[in-house]
Amino acid sequence: MAFLVRFWGTRGSIPTPGRTTHKYGGNTSCVEIRIDDTLFICDGGTGLRELGLDLARRPQQPVVAHFLFSHMHWDHIQGFPFFVPAYGPQNTCFIYGTSHGDTRFHKLLSGQMRSDYFPVDFSDLNANILAVDLGTGTCDIDGVTVRCFDQQHPGGSYAYSFEKGGYKVVYSTDNEIDLTLADPEGVQQNLEAVRPIPRALVDFVRGADLLIADGQYTDEEYFPKRIGWGHPRATTAVDLAVQAGVKQLAVYHHDPMQSDGDVEAKIAACRHRAHRMHSQTFVFAAREGLELKLDY
Amino acid sequence: MSGFPEDDRSRHTEETEIPLVPVQAYSRPHVLQQIRGPLSPQIIELHGDHLVVGRSPEVDIRIPSSALSRMHMKLERYQGGYRAVDLESSNGIYLNEVRIHTATLRDGDTLQLGNAVFIYHEGK
Repeated sequence: MAFLVRFWGTRGSIPTPGRTTHKYGGNTSCVEIRIDDTLFICDGGTGLRELGLDLARRPQQPVVAHFLFSHMHWDHIQGFPFFVPAYGPQNTCFIYGTSHGDTRFHKLLSGQMRSDYFPVDFSDLNANILAVDLGTGTCDIDGVTVRCFDQQHPGGSYAYSFEKGGYKVVYSTDNEIDLTLADPEGVQQNLEAVRPIPRALVDFVRGADLLIADGQYTDEEYFPKRIGWGHPRATTAVDLAVQAGVKQLAVYHHDPMQSDGDVEAKIAACRHRAHRMHSQTFVFAAREGLELKLDY
Repeated sequence: MSGFPEDDRSRHTEETEIPLVPVQAYSRPHVLQQIRGPLSPQIIELHGDHLVVGRSPEVDIRIPSSALSRMHMKLERYQGGYRAVDLESSNGIYLNEVRIHTATLRDGDTLQLGNAVFIYHEGK
């Protein structure tokens, strides 16, 4: 079995190219998960453009891609009109809704490709672009168990887990975990204290080999100005990873104002927190161009 | 009228022909700086599109250590720099402490292969 995860875009909110973001990247959210011959794509931010170019060069053709979108905010869909395989008639893109009959994501994707916003219409995409859904919220796709989970974000968002052969990856971005804590105000009184994460989220993430989690803000950035903006403290993502017994935590969706140095300082604080909790969870910053293999 | 600013500048400015195509006055290769392990310290310039690193005498960059696989890592040209690819090595490749399968290398990255540690320096 091959279980590979590759980061194509790790930035939140808006693309941020430039010298200060050269190391971790400026493309917005896009993660490729390849399990044997099955391709899952989590979110279609601007990183999706590069992924599409790479897919077009790979020997495995035609392209069959299973798209799982966390939500439809710009930074998670901007890359789709530039996804080269979407223009090939031999290719197929499955756009998953999260419950029976849910076609919202398919409709909203097509909405951003109307002449008011974009010179190419959705109907001009020659690939088979099909609205499907995860049924009850758990689905078997080519032997991979895929689950979704409702998250805390303006307008809503979803996390996804992927399991096969005893390995598990969770993709959880745009989730303001801090707002779901029993005592959000209390956290600020004692930032060092453990933050009990809601049981349902911990259970969803439990035992993951890799958790890709929104860690947009530092503690200083989050409170009080960014409460309700839809993203957590990175240190709260650490608490989730530790309480769920996660092996590796990839801190993701970096704030556009954070330079590479800022991201590294954020990760240092996260590692320090995990270490203080005597946790074995390894914390690192998600970065463009990084590919991990889970099934060593 | 003397002392007017334009008169002063014209005495010190000579006409110069500026080429339309920028000329790269200085270039340097991408480099691996080995800081730990057999043969360190050493500087290895990276030239070519594909380079294999390992302990085999047949590779491009040989590190004589049993902690490396015979063919441990490939460095391939990618977007003007290099990408590291694990060749199913026994002990893996660690990029800034993260075990990776492939990764686009950036200036200042540390790469650990077995007991050999390198710093990658982007060229120009």
